[in-house]
Parts: sequence; C-alpha cells; structure tokens
Amino acid sequence: MKKSQTKPETMIPLPSGMRVGVDIGGTFTDLVFTNANLHLDKLKVPSTPDDYSRAIVSGIETYLSQKGINGGSIDEIVHATTVATNAILERKGARTGLITTKGFRDVLELRRIRIPFSYDLNWQKPAPLVDRFLRCEVSERVDAAGNISTLLDKSSLQDAIQRLRDASVTSVAVCLLHSYMNPSHEQEIGEIIRNELPEVYVSLSHEVLPEIKEFERTSTTVVNAYVAPLIGHYLDELRESLKRLSVSAPILVMQSNGGLIPSVTASKQPVTIIESGPAAGVIAAAEVARKGEYPNVITLDMGGTTAKASIIEQGEILRAGEYEVGSPVSVSSRLVRGSGYLLRIPVVDISEVGAGGGSIAQVDTAGAVRVGPHSAGADPGPACYGFGNQYPTVTDANLVLGYLNPDSLAGGALKIHPSLAEMAVSEHIAKPTGLDVLEAAHGVYKIANSNMIRAIKSVSVERGRDPAEFVLMAFGGAGPLHACDVARSLNIKTVIVPPAPGLSSAFGLLEAQVEHHTIRSVVMPTDKLQIPLLQSVFEQMRIEVITRAKQEGFDESTVHCSAFMDIRYLGQSSEITIPLTRLAIDQKLITETTASFEKEFERTYGYRGSSTVFEIVNCRMLARVSRGVAHDYAWDYQDIDPAENNRTRKIVIDPRAGPINTKIVTRTQLGAEPLSGPIVVEEYDSTTLVPPDWAVHIGKNWNMIIKLEVA
Amino acid sequence: MTVTKTNPKFNPVHLELIKNAIGSVVDEMVLTVVRTAYSSIMKDTMDLSSAFCDRQGRMIAQGLSLPLHLGSIPDAMDKVLEHFGDDFVAGDVVILNDPYVAGGMHLPDIFMFMPVFRDNYLLGFVVLVAHFNDMGGRVPGSSAADSTEIFQEGLRIPIVKLYEKGKRNDMLLRIIRLNVRVPDIVEGDLDAQYAACRIGERGIQELADKYGIDMLKEYFDELLNYSERAARNTILSIPDGTYKFEDFLDDDGVNMGMPIPIRVRVEVTHDEILFDFEGSSKQVQGAINCTMSFVKSSVYFALRSVMSSDAPNNSGFFRPVTVKAELGSILNPRAPGACAARGVTGFRVIDAITGALSFAVPKRIRAPGEGGVTSYSISGYDIDGRFNMFREAVMGNWGGGLNRDGLDGVANPAANVGNAPCEMVEKQSPLQVEKYELVTDSGGAGQWRGGLAVRRQLTYLGESATVQLRSDRRIHPPYGLYGGRSGAPSNNELVEQGNSEQLPTKFVRQIKKGQSICHTTAGSGGYGSPFERDPGLVLSDVVNDKVSREAAKEMYGVCLNGPPWSVDEPATENLRGTHEKEPN
Repeated sequence: MKKSQTKPETMIPLPSGMRVGVDIGGTFTDLVFTNANLHLDKLKVPSTPDDYSRAIVSGIETYLSQKGINGGSIDEIVHATTVATNAILERKGARTGLITTKGFRDVLELRRIRIPFSYDLNWQKPAPLVDRFLRCEVSERVDAAGNISTLLDKSSLQDAIQRLRDASVTSVAVCLLHSYMNPSHEQEIGEIIRNELPEVYVSLSHEVLPEIKEFERTSTTVVNAYVAPLIGHYLDELRESLKRLSVSAPILVMQSNGGLIPSVTASKQPVTIIESGPAAGVIAAAEVARKGEYPNVITLDMGGTTAKASIIEQGEILRAGEYEVGSPVSVSSRLVRGSGYLLRIPVVDISEVGAGGGSIAQVDTAGAVRVGPHSAGADPGPACYGFGNQYPTVTDANLVLGYLNPDSLAGGALKIHPSLAEMAVSEHIAKPTGLDVLEAAHGVYKIANSNMIRAIKSVSVERGRDPAEFVLMAFGGAGPLHACDVARSLNIKTVIVPPAPGLSSAFGLLEAQVEHHTIRSVVMPTDKLQIPLLQSVFEQMRIEVITRAKQEGFDESTVHCSAFMDIRYLGQSSEITIPLTRLAIDQKLITETTASFEKEFERTYGYRGSSTVFEIVNCRMLARVSRGVAHDYAWDYQDIDPAENNRTRKIVIDPRAGPINTKIVTRTQLGAEPLSGPIVVEEYDSTTLVPPDWAVHIGKNWNMIIKLEVA
Repeated sequence: MTVTKTNPKFNPVHLELIKNAIGSVVDEMVLTVVRTAYSSIMKDTMDLSSAFCDRQGRMIAQGLSLPLHLGSIPDAMDKVLEHFGDDFVAGDVVILNDPYVAGGMHLPDIFMFMPVFRDNYLLGFVVLVAHFNDMGGRVPGSSAADSTEIFQEGLRIPIVKLYEKGKRNDMLLRIIRLNVRVPDIVEGDLDAQYAACRIGERGIQELADKYGIDMLKEYFDELLNYSERAARNTILSIPDGTYKFEDFLDDDGVNMGMPIPIRVRVEVTHDEILFDFEGSSKQVQGAINCTMSFVKSSVYFALRSVMSSDAPNNSGFFRPVTVKAELGSILNPRAPGACAARGVTGFRVIDAITGALSFAVPKRIRAPGEGGVTSYSISGYDIDGRFNMFREAVMGNWGGGLNRDGLDGVANPAANVGNAPCEMVEKQSPLQVEKYELVTDSGGAGQWRGGLAVRRQLTYLGESATVQLRSDRRIHPPYGLYGGRSGAPSNNELVEQGNSEQLPTKFVRQIKKGQSICHTTAGSGGYGSPFERDPGLVLSDVVNDKVSREAAKEMYGVCLNGPPWSVDEPATENLRGTHEKEPN
C-alpha cells in the first residue's frame, strides 16, 4: 500500500550483541539487558510521568556506567510504552479533525449506542476525541459493492479543509462509507489534504483498518490520528536522547497484538501500540511455556491495580479482534462496550479484573465483603505503606495473613507497617461483619481470588476451554501469592512461577518478534464463492506486508507470511479466525478451512450449526520477520537472591486452624527435589505461596514448578 | 444510608463468593446466546435475559441482560410451577410465550426453563427469555402496534415441554416452524437458547458439588435477604410521602389522536414502597396493552435507577415493593387484548415514575430520555420467494439532571440495545442509509440541557416491502424538570425525490423502490431554568452546532458574537435580566 509519508530506511542489522527490553509502568520502569553470553541483567528505576523517556535514558545510562561499557554495544532496544494510552486517558492528544461522508458526521459520537451499565444514571459518556464542529462532511458516496454512486464534491472538501485550517488542527482522520471496498475517494482526499495542509498528519481509514463497520473503522482511525503526532515526537526524542549516550541501535515497539514493529512504523500506525505492556507479559509466558514444554498455559499477571488473565494454546497466544482503551476494568466490559474508546485491531486476548495488590476491600451497605474495582494505586498505596490510605487492600490482607515479609517489600526498598494493615482490616472488614481479623483478611484473599477466577473463566470457559487442561503461570508482583488457590478452584494441578516474575513484561519484549497484520473485508458466502477474487485479495495483502517489511529495512527472505480467514455460519455474527494451511487458494482449501471452522465452532460452543453455508467475512495476513535473535537467555540467579538460612514465619492458611509455622526460602534454596508446602518463597520483586498439599521444585531455566500433591 | 449488618449465621465471604459464582453462571448463559444465535435481535441487539431460580421458583440471580425483563421471570416461573408441580426430570425443557395463560410478556419473547438436578435433587431452574425475530401473525416481526387482538399477533405457546428427558418434542417444533416466517432462524435461535440452558445447568451443578446442596440452599435464602436489605436501604433513603405524576402515550396505533394517560401514585412508607397505577387508561384497542409482569419490570427498573447498591437482581429485591394496576386497564389487560407493541407503554410507566420520584429525590433522577426504543422492520419476499426482513431499534438520549447535562447518542437505559452498522445494513439488505445524525436544537433547554434527538433515514432499493414502525412522543414530548423545557417531538416522514410526507407515530404500510423512511426520535427533557445555564456551555453547544445561535438567544438568553463565536456578555446580561431569569 502506498504511504506518502514513508521514507526509505537503512537496513536493520541483525542483533548480535546487547539487547534491552524496557517496560514503562505507572510507578517503575523495568529494564532487562542481555549480553552476548545470553545472560540477563535487570534494573528497576522510578518512572518519570512528565516525560517517560527520561527514565529509559537514565536507566540505560546507569547500566552502561555500572558495567563500564559504551552505548555502541547495544544492538537493539525493545520498548512497550503507555504514552499513547495516557494521551487518551488525559485527553492530551493532537487537535484532530475528521472528514466523513455527508449524513454521517455523528457516527463517531453515536457509536454503537449501547451503554456499559444499566442502572447508573450518573454515568458519563466519554467525550468524542473529535469535537462535532471538527467533524466535516463531504458530498460523495461509495455503495456497498464498492461502486461510486456520487462523485466526490471538491467544493465541499475545500470547505472542510478551510474549517480544519481555521481551527489549526494538527492531525486529520478521513473515514468514508465503504472505503474498505473502494478507497479511491479517501486516497483523493488524502492527497489534497497533504498538499493543502502539509504540516498535518493524515490517517486514512482504509489504511488503518480496511474493514466493514463504519463506527469501528472511524473510531480506530480517529484514535490513530489523535495519538500519532505525540507518538512520533516521543519516539524521535527518545532516539535523540539515546544518541547522546552513543546508542544508535534501532528501537522496536511492542504492539497490543504481541508483535513488534520498528519505531518508524509505530510513528505512522500508533494505534497498534496502545496498551502494549500487558501483551509483553503474555509473550514472556509463551516463551517460558515453549522452553518448559508446557504448550497449554493460562497466564495470571497480578499487578498493583488489576489482575489479567490470558490463554496460550499449543504455544499460540489467543487473540481478540477489538478492545476499548480507557474503559474501567471488569469482565462484563468484554461484552458490553461503550465505556472507553473502541479500537478494532488484533490484540492479545486479555481479561482484566480489579483485583491487584492495591485493590480496596470494603463491606457494602447490605453486608457483603467486596474487593475492587477501586484501588489505592501506587500512591498512597496499601494501608501498610503508611502513606495515608486507611482502607484495607489485598496487599494488607496478605500481610495480615503472614504471606508477605513484615519488614519490607521490593527487596528492602519499601518499608512497611503490619500494624497499619491489621488496623485497616480490623476497622473496615472485621468489625462491620463480626468476623475476626484473620477470618476477615482471609476472606479478602479469597474474594480477590474469586475475581481472578472470573477473569480466567472469561478467557477459557467462555471459549469452550477447560482450565483443568492448562497449567497456570503466575507473574507480576502479587500473582504468585494467589496462584495455587486460584488454580485449585479451577482444577488446575500445576502452577509455574517464572524467574523474575515482576519483570515478565520487560523480559517478554526481548522474546517478541516483528509482526505485521493486515486485513480485508470480503463478506462472501461460500455458495457464491469467488476464488479468483480471494486469490487476488491474499496476493495483494502479501505484497503489502512484504513491502512494509522491506520499507522498514528487513530482507524479504526473512519475512514469513501466514493467512487466516474470519468465518461464520451464514446468518450468524460470531466469526472465528481460522488459519489457512497454505497461501494458494483453491476450492479444496476453502473446504478444508470451513471444516476446521466447524470443528473449532463445536469446540467453543458445544454444537455444530445446522447451516451448511458459511460466510467468509475477513481475510487476514500475518507477516513475521525473523531477525535471528537468540531466545535462550538465562537468569543469573545467584546475583538476584543472596540466600539466607533457616527463616520461618507464622502464616494463616485456614483461619480456623490459626497461624502455622512456615519455612521462608529464596528461589536459590530450592532444588530439583519437590519440597512440600507450606512454604513461602521470597524474592526481590515477588512472593510465592506454596500451600499445604502442594510441592515446589525448580525446573528448567529457574522456573518454579508447584504441583498439587493430593487430588 | 443505613448499614444493615449481615445475618451472623452466614459468612459474608461465602455470600460474596457464591453470589459471584452464580452471577458468573447466568452471565455465561447470555454470552452463549449472543455467540450462537442466528437472529440479529438476539446476537447484536441482545434482547434477552437469563436467570437462575431456586426449586421454589424464587429468582436468585439475573444475568447481563435487558433491564426491562427484570420482573418478568418470576411471574412466568410461578405459572410453570403451578402447571407442572414437581413433574420434572433431568433433561426436561419447558417453553412458553403466551401472556394470558402462561405468564409471558408478548408473543415474540419465548421463555425457556430447564430444571437442574444434582443427585436426583432439584436444585432449581435455569431460565432464558429471548426475543424471536418472528412468531407469525398478520405483520412480519409479530410486533405491529395496530393489531387489535392477540390472535392476530402470532403463534401462542402455552406452558409445554420442548424436551422430555432430553428428547426433543418434534411435533411441537414442527408446529412452531410452520407458523413463523423464518423457521430456520427460529429453530437456530431455539438451539442457542437451549445451549445456554445447558451451560447454566452445568454451572449450577458445579456449584452444588463445591458447596454441597444444603449449604447452597441456605445461601440462596441469604442472597434474597441480601438484595432485600439493599432494596430496603434504598427505599429508606427516599423521604416518606405520596408522590403522583401523569404522563401520556400519543395514541394506541389504531385510534389516532386519542392520548392515553399513565398515572402513578408512589407511596413511600419507611422501607416499603407502593406503585399504584389507578386512573391510568382502560385497556386499549391497539397492541400497546402492557401485561402486569412487564409493568413490574418497569417499576423495578425505575427503582433500581435511584439505588446505589449493585446487589443482584432477584426476588428479594422485589419484596418491599408493591405494584397495583386494575384488571382491564392498559397496565393489566384482559385476554384477548393485543399487546405485541407493549414496550412503549413500559417506557412511559418508567417516565411517569421518574416524574413522581422527581418530587421525592430531585437530585438523583434525570429528566426523561427520548421515550424509549423506536423499533421498525422492513420486510418482503425476494424473487425466489424467500422472505427477508430487516429490523432495528433507533435511540436515543438521556435527559438533564442536577449538575449533569443530558447525554447525546446513548441507548435508553431500560432497553440497552445496540444499533446496526450502516455498512452492514447496506451489505445485507436492499437498503441505503441516507443519514444517521444528531439533530440541532432538539434537546430540551435547561440549566442542564437534554440530550439531542437522533435522525436516521433509509431508502428502500428493492421492489416493494412492508414497513412496520412503532414510535411515540410526538404529541407529548419528554417533559423537562424544575424549569427545564421538554425535548423536541419525534417525527416520521416518507421521503421521495425530495418531497416529504408526514407519517403517523405507529404504522404498517407498503413502500416502493426509491422511497425513504426518515425517523427522528424525540429529544430529552432539560433540567432547571435555561436562563441559569452557564453561557460558556451554551457557547460550546453553538460552536458544536448542537444549539443554534437563534435558540441560544431565545431559549437560553445568551447572545453570541461571531463566528468565530464568543459570548456577548453585556447583551446576555441585559437579555437575561429583562426576562427575570425566565424565558417566555
């Protein structure tokens, strides 16, 4: 596809020396460094929300000087950023205009009409990212078959351009009806705007998302336009600052689908890199799973404000077709949209619930104990931090139960106060319910777990997958404390805690591959199959992704394409993405593919449809670029966990039984021989609870494997 | 707000865990239908609800679903138990749709009940009610407002078993198939409904395995008590007293120009509340008679909207609430009164209650929205004789409330359904969407402005088709509160080659190639005097073309310079002063 803003680039060399993975979180920026010996180093530095790139640059500078090496030895920087997400949440994106077909300027604001909550008259609808007066209509029309029924009226376009010029917009989205069928009017408008408003960034909907459904396409294109100037600026700045450290390595950016793109492409198509941190965590899990020979994994990533679940099946990450940025966290938000800004792009399918370490527990007015979705966040944080929050959080409950080190967290970096945690649980949970403090804390622990179970079910059971056939991989600071109890409720018998569980996202960045995804809507019933049309659609897409990869400096021979179709029973609306076994399209392949669809449908929904006619809704192409990157990194564990001996602590597994004396160990004190629980494993960035009935040992690559000993 | 302590017999942690688990089961049922149904009204519009009732038929939890189904399931469940007693075995499935003999709402809604057993013990019933595309009758879609008896509205299904011991009753299915215009879609949707019940059955059985039947039963009781406490707390927060309001439907679709009053008297006594609809219209000839279970649903919805707790929707919630409507009135019709288009009456019941509650809790309510879903269908037969139908719902907006403007472009909270993407409409039906937009100056003026009306125009591209449309709020637009103005009235037009002709609020008619139907919803009511509105907000509305310069001056007393727009402050002060803060 033609992109007038593309400039040819130099070839990206295959990385052989040091690589850096950088994940920016709300509180900390995590950096993981690799060197030629395939060993990993890590660094946590405070995030710098006024300009996130500062923390990256200072982190890299610190590491380079610690190790006495120069910036030139860094070969690649892989980055997940929240810059775009924050721009949307804080409404700090570009002043954006929208050009659309006459009669449809309100599509962006009318959305899908549906509201996210049924009984909340206080709900505030998110304001559209483009104000109504900057949504301009042009007279033109393309029909559903792609024929032009009304020619583009240039004078209405001139009026629109004048209006946008007067308003000094810096970014323009163009989304016309049925442009996914025939983009010529959008292309024409794009060229005219680029001539008349050369400083303005232009996003054309058929380039961002050539897919049917005008609201979804408009919303996605508008978000792209809204964040593009900012992302471009941010990445340019980052590149410049790194150059001052003599780091001139290419920067790759994580997308929300789990693939990487070069920063130059990210600047053009930033919509794909929004909320990419969580995706990186899942990539890490997929790699750990691959090396550990566990093909089927459910991930549980528990951080400060939320817990996230996703699923890896036969080594493949499952993806979803859309999500909303800025919507409050809840399982039902996966079904009922409308509380955020819709993005229709492939994303790692992640279900999120408000059950993080900072999630607040309370008793509601009718007497039930609730956990989340409100969170004390990182500041003031849990009551035990002593920064002023009086309400008990999940972390406070864990501390009362003895699961956490009573002196400090984060390897001593954060002093904590168990008495404040106990007071919070006592005052706000135990007293109003008549439970004792231990029962109350244990209740909070169990309810947080039940929220996580709901998140896991929504990525597994709701897709027809039985969690019992998976292992649970827990990471994030708090995940490993809750994993065994969650696993047991879901009949999962194996829990894996990867090394450095608090740094999984940063590590995952180093494991990800460069990926390009593209899509075309065809909406073709199989009783009216047009094989030549399908052939040409797939060939066009193949050329498109290869051209993109070449423009980014990759060699064509390193690009591997795989094709997919979104298929449904004719008349239904739930399409399933099915991989094609080859790129050469013929009748036989379609028959095989619809057979796979039926198999997958039955697996997901428990029955086969009565229709024998299918509909091919979208064609998809995924290009993976292999950069020859090594994937056999090892953590140098001795550096992380200086062993201490013979520590014990009283912890509470069953409040009726009271506290029991429990061994506290570090990962390095564990071995290949299974050790029966109860055991608490303390690490720099995470704590793992091995309850009674479970036994822990160290497997390959420093993974902690915890298995249920009794049924 | 009163905090009621938990019953000490129950562990509040278990209560929360079991509540979440049942909630997750009933939600999963809804998800199953959404994913596997054939008709757009189930999969996209999501006009359906799920529930779990215990063995006594008490609703314990309701799933993600249509708020207006809130009260319907308990009534239907009671009738099912009355009919079958304990004559259930594993594998049975009961269906019904008739409002008069079977506890249904209107014929397009089929209720499905599946008893759930564990160890030969009846734990309760999973329930799924869903709106079917067509149930036969004289007008495609089985929802016409101008039918005059239920026999015209489609196939009436009494309380019958569709499955016995897991075996489907094919005779029943064949009768259903023969009576509907889209037999394959109806059968596919019944399959989806059945799949959802199976999912629900499995979920409840797993719960019984985890907690044990006895403990589960005790917590069913406590869940009902829990929701009852939440409801009573809410009612306690409403000042005691009697609050009355009257609102109107424009007509019944048969006798045009005859307004239909809906009157409500709300009586709050400590933690109990009565809704008495005495004085509302007698039963009407057209199909907007509203069965009692739907009136209850509307009442429960209105009450929930002023409630701060998110306690589960269950029979405990309904305990402190009494609903009265005279038999033979529009809100409690006798057979064979037509009732297919009763939705509009439910919306008006909610609007009337909102009006009454505005005297009791003025800070917690909003002025009424567009008046409910405008629904229409466009149907015909293609050259092969194959029936095709396009249907959709058009909404909507919310009214202004204290310190909050109305919302533009949102569903009515009582019927949270989605729109159909214009590109999909054009791809799948012989229709062209001409416009889909907000309407300037249609929101009721007020210190807090009402939401704007929505306009949608479609041109028919086939040979000829039957259009059935149900709207309201043309003669009686959504009222404003505390000095706020009412929203702009709704409208229907037939547009052909630039000429337009007004159509009634409710109609069934033929259209030809090239003719367009243009529907405009009502705007919603404003809140507070428009002359009190911050001129900066008026300015922003004018900049965005949501309010015209002329209306800014006439309705809000705000004079503007421009464009580029700015507030002419002296002129505004002068104008607002002259009017003594009240427009004429």
